[in-house]
This record gives sequence, C-alpha cells and structure tokens, in this order.
Amino acid sequence: MTNQNPMLLLSKISIFALIIGAISLPLVIELSSPLWVLVCFVYWVIYTDGKWIYLSALILGLLMDVLQGGILGQNALSLVISSAFIFNVKKSFFVSNLTTQQVYIFLGSLIYLITFLLIHILVQGFDFSWLILISPFSSAIIWPVIRFLLAKLKH
Amino acid sequence: MRLLKLILPILISIILIVLDTRFSYLDNFKRFTLTLLSPIYFVVDLPNHVVDWVNDKGSENAKLVSENEYLEGKLTELKARLQTYNNLVLENQKISGLLDSSYAIPEHQIKLAHVKSISQSRLKKQIIIDKGFNDGVTLSQLIVGSDGVVGHVTQVTPLYSTVQLITDPTQHMPVKNSRNGIRGITKGLASNEKGMIVEYVPLESDVKLGDIFVTSGIGNSYPVGYLVGRVTRINNLLNDSFLSITLQPLQNMNKLELVLIVSEKND
Repeated sequence: MTNQNPMLLLSKISIFALIIGAISLPLVIELSSPLWVLVCFVYWVIYTDGKWIYLSALILGLLMDVLQGGILGQNALSLVISSAFIFNVKKSFFVSNLTTQQVYIFLGSLIYLITFLLIHILVQGFDFSWLILISPFSSAIIWPVIRFLLAKLKH
Repeated sequence: MRLLKLILPILISIILIVLDTRFSYLDNFKRFTLTLLSPIYFVVDLPNHVVDWVNDKGSENAKLVSENEYLEGKLTELKARLQTYNNLVLENQKISGLLDSSYAIPEHQIKLAHVKSISQSRLKKQIIIDKGFNDGVTLSQLIVGSDGVVGHVTQVTPLYSTVQLITDPTQHMPVKNSRNGIRGITKGLASNEKGMIVEYVPLESDVKLGDIFVTSGIGNSYPVGYLVGRVTRINNLLNDSFLSITLQPLQNMNKLELVLIVSEKND
C-alpha cells in the first residue's frame, strides 16, 4: 500500500490515462487499443486504500464521455460496473501472480465493453466495428506495463 | 450501505444517459467541462509542435526556396482557374438577370484551421481543430478539406472544436447527384473505415458508378455545392423501395492537416 494521498494519486492516474486515451492512432489500432482509463483505474482500486471508488469511477467516466464527445454516462456506467467487479476480487487480485491479474483485467474489460456496447446498441443501433472486441485482450496484455509505469508514478 | 454506494452512481449514470440522448439540458455542462479539459488536447499535440519547431529550425534554405517556388506556381495556377470561375459567375448573373431569376450563387466565408487530433473515441469518427468560439466557430458549421466535405462542428470550446466526420454512423447530410440533381441523404458506416451510403434514392433513379454527390443545401443546414463522395457501388435490392448506393468520400480523412470552416456570408 502507498503512503501517497489516494486522491492525489487518482488525479495523476486520471490525467495520465486521459492523455494516453486522447492520442491519435490509426483507426484499426485505435479500435483494438487497450481501455486505458479502465486499466489505470484498476491499478488505483487495487493498490491504494482509496475510498469513494464508485463515485470516483462515475466522475472519471463522465470526464471521458465529455472528452470523447460520446453519450454522457456511457463510459461512467461502464466504469462503475467494471470497478464493482474489480473491487469484489480485490483481495484475490492483490495476492495473485501477473497472469492471474491479467485474467481479472480481461474480465473487467469485458464487463466494461459489454456495458459500453449495450448502451451504444440501445441508443444508436447495432452498428460498430468488430475490431473493438479485441480491446479486452489488449488491455490484459498491456497490464504489466501499466502496472510498472503507475508504480513509478506512485512513488 | 455498500450496495447503496454502488447503486447510486449507476442510477446517476442511467439518468444522465437518458437526459443526454433525449434532451439537451446537459449541453452547457458538457461545453463547460470540455473547456476545462481542453488543455489535454494541447498536451497531446505537444510532440507535434516540437517536431514542427525542429523541422522549421532544421530546414535548409535551398529547400525552403524550392518549396516557395512550388507554392508560388500553384498559386498562379489557382488564380488562373479562379478567372474562369469568375467569368462563369458573371455569365450566370447575366443569364439570371435576363431570365429574371432570383437565384444567386451563394457566397461563403471560410476560415483556415489545423487538425490537432483525429478520433479519440472508439465509436465516433471525429477530429479536433484548433479554432473555437473565440475565432467565431459555431455549432453545425460545415468543414471542408481540399478535396471535399470533411464533416460538421459538433462541440465548441474557446480554443478547440470537435468535428464529426461525414463517415460517422450518426452523421446524416443532405446531398444531390451533381449530374442530374437526384437527392438523397448520406449516412456513415461504422463497419467500413472509408465508406458511407446514400439513403432514400428511389429505385428507378438515374445513378451511375462514378457519379459525384455534392451537398444539396436542403434544410439550410449546410452550404450547397461542396463535393461529398463518388459512387462506388449500386445495389438494386429486392423488396426495397430505395437504391442502396455506396459512396467513397472524396476527401481522404487520414491525410487531413488543414481544413476550412465554411459559413454563410451573413453569419
């Protein structure tokens, strides 16, 4: 656990994740890229004594919605639900090896993506690129790197 | 208590989704928050600024002179073409006068903007430009590139604006066939990076492969006559009252650097 103020760390993590998420990439890579904000937020949920997890998830999700010009509440709802899953497996996650942690990240990302797409389908219809389904895999793959980088940020 | 902590944010999110999709109460909140978040665009674009600065400093004089000569040549060529256009406008005005027609070629104001970022959302096709309401940009203004229509402004902050591309699935634009004036409405395709379709063109309409569709100006939402796309496929589906027409946008969205913001002269 860290001695750094959890809210200060969350602010740093949020800015880091929002900046990474806003970088322009070719469409194919962008669609299949990791769910940066979720992966970074999971780190905060797991490795800090942070309280107000769901409220923080809501605010961070709303910031994403505004920044991405999407439906207000879409990312927020997805982030709240997936962080509820991660919070429930927190103890197991904390003591697991890296591969098991990647499985948890995959499941969390999958919950996020399903919620996200469900809202999209309900509001705008069944029209999206299938490449987006790769993002839970890429989120799981990138987890060790993000964990390393955010550990540096934490200290 | 723990369950309440979870249910409350979920309820708030659902209420926000409904409010945002059905009403426009949250537009001011979104605009204000986006203004607060807009420094992120600056930070994301910082490496490009550095690269441009290094390139500018490192450019050889001879290269700049040759580039200048090339651009001067292009300018002369464009001025020559403009003369023909001006003649056509004069001729059109004379004919309109003879026919006592009230039609006038619309005049548009244009502003140049740089593209800062391309698409930062998985389900939306959009770009960020470096002009905002401090520069007079307003919602729904048409954005064009050197080869055709790019999209329209959907969000404005003091320094930046978000432009939704015409290839975005939520984007609809009234268009007409430049050859015979047959009208339809374009719709972007999420599953196809470059494509869009034209809807509501009746079955017996005269549309051929290679036809060019331009903005029709119907509904006064967009200026008329800007190039949109070329017909690449026509399907005559059974049990359907309309043709299925696929367009390839004339503007390559992946090579955008500079765009023009178009507005009516009286804006």
